[in-house]
Amino acid sequence: MSEVESRVPIGLDRETSRRNFLKTAAWTGAAFSAMGIGGFGVAIRRAEAQGEYKTYEGLGDAAILQFAYQLELLEGTFYAEGVEAGLFEDAFLEQIVAIRDHEMAHADAIATTLGELGAEVPATPQFTFPNGTFTDPTAFLELAATFEPVGIGAYQGAAPALESKDILAAAISIHNAECQHRCAINILNLVNPPNDLAFEEALPIEDVQAAVKPFGITG
Amino acid sequence: MENHTIDFPGAQEFARPRSRRDFFKSLAVAGAGATAASMLMSKEASAQTSDVDIANFALTLEYLEAEFYAMAVDSGVLSGDALGVVKNLADHEAQHVTALKDLLESVGATPVEKPAFTFPEDALSSQSSILELAATLEPVGVGAYLGAAPLISSPDILAAAGSIAGVEGEHVVAVNWLLGVVPYANEAFPKALTLDEVSAAVAPFMGGQMMSTGGPALPPREAYRLGPL
Repeated sequence: MSEVESRVPIGLDRETSRRNFLKTAAWTGAAFSAMGIGGFGVAIRRAEAQGEYKTYEGLGDAAILQFAYQLELLEGTFYAEGVEAGLFEDAFLEQIVAIRDHEMAHADAIATTLGELGAEVPATPQFTFPNGTFTDPTAFLELAATFEPVGIGAYQGAAPALESKDILAAAISIHNAECQHRCAINILNLVNPPNDLAFEEALPIEDVQAAVKPFGITG
Repeated sequence: MENHTIDFPGAQEFARPRSRRDFFKSLAVAGAGATAASMLMSKEASAQTSDVDIANFALTLEYLEAEFYAMAVDSGVLSGDALGVVKNLADHEAQHVTALKDLLESVGATPVEKPAFTFPEDALSSQSSILELAATLEPVGVGAYLGAAPLISSPDILAAAGSIAGVEGEHVVAVNWLLGVVPYANEAFPKALTLDEVSAAVAPFMGGQMMSTGGPALPPREAYRLGPL
C-alpha cells in the first residue's frame, strides 16, 4: 500500500476493505487470552499461586495511581495523535475522539487525587510509538486493541490492593470505561460479535510494565 | 484542556468495622459449610451487608439477564449482528450465574434460588424491543457492581465483581452499536448505582417485589452511594 493510500481516513464506508485486519486483531486477542485467564475461578487460583495481589499490594495507593496516571497519559496521547493525524472520519472518528477525552479525563482525575493524597504527579513520559502508527489506520487500531486490555488488566489487578475505598470506587469505574473502550475498538476492528469475553482479565504488574515499557513508561 | 475532577464521597461513609472484615476473612479461610452458614446467621454478621449478600444480590441480577437473553435467542426474531451479540450476552450471563454460585458455595454460603421473572408482553416481539430492554438492563448491571465493589471485603469476590462488571460494560457498548448509538463507548466514568436504585430497576421484572439477598436487610440508600457521580 502506498503512503498516500494508507493515509485515507477510515470511515464507515471503508469497513469492508479492512477485513484482513481481523486476522491480526484475532491473533492479538488470542495472545492476551493465553496470557490471561479463562474465568475468575482460574484467576483466583492463579493469583494465589503467583501472589498477584501482593505485587500490587506492596506499592500503596499513591504509587498505583502514579503508574495508572502514566498509563492514561500514554493512551490519551496515543488517541490524541490519532485524531490529529486525520486517520478517521464518521463514527470511527467520533469514537476515537470520545476515547481520547475519556483517557484525558481519567488522567486529570487521577492527578487531582494524587494532589489530595499529597503525592507527586509524575512528569509526562516521552512516549514513542512504532513507525507507521499514525500513518496507517489499521496499524493504529491494532495498537489500540493491545493497549486497552493492558489498561483493563492493570486496574483489575490493582483494585484488590487499593487501601482507600474511595479510590477503589473511582478505579473500578475507570476500569469499566476501559472495558467499554476495548469493546468499541473491537467494533472498529470489525470483531463481530464485539462482546467477546465472558470475564475480563487481570494482569500481574510485571506483565503490565513489560507491555508499556517499549512506549516510554519505565516507572 | 478542560479540567475534569472526581467528586469523591467521604471515606468514613464506607468505613466498615475492622471486626467485620476480620470476620469475613476468617469465613473465607474456614470455608466450612455448616460452620460458615451458622456464623452468617449470627446477629453480629447480620448487622452489616456481607460479601455473601452482595454476591447473592448480583446473582439475582445475573439470573434475570440470563433468562431474558436465553428467551431472546429462542424467540426467533433476532438475526445477523444482533443474533450474534445476544447469543454472547446469553452465554456470558449464564457463565456469570455459574461463577457466582460456585463462589458462594466455595465460602460455604447458599446461593439464592432463581426468582420467577416476568417480562413485558412485547419484550420479545421484535429485535428492537429486545435491544431496548437489553439497553435498560445492562447499565443496571454495571451500576450494581460498581456500587457494590467498595463494600466488598474479600479480594477474591472483589476480583470477580470487577471482572464481571467490565463485561457488563462491554455489553452496554455492543448494544449501543446495534441500536446505532454513536459513539458506542460514551462514558468516561460509568456510574455506580445504589442498592435501592438497582432493586427498584429490577422490581418490575419480579412482580413488583424488591430483590432478596437471602440475608439481612439491605443497607440504607446513602451507604451505597459510591463512585464518581
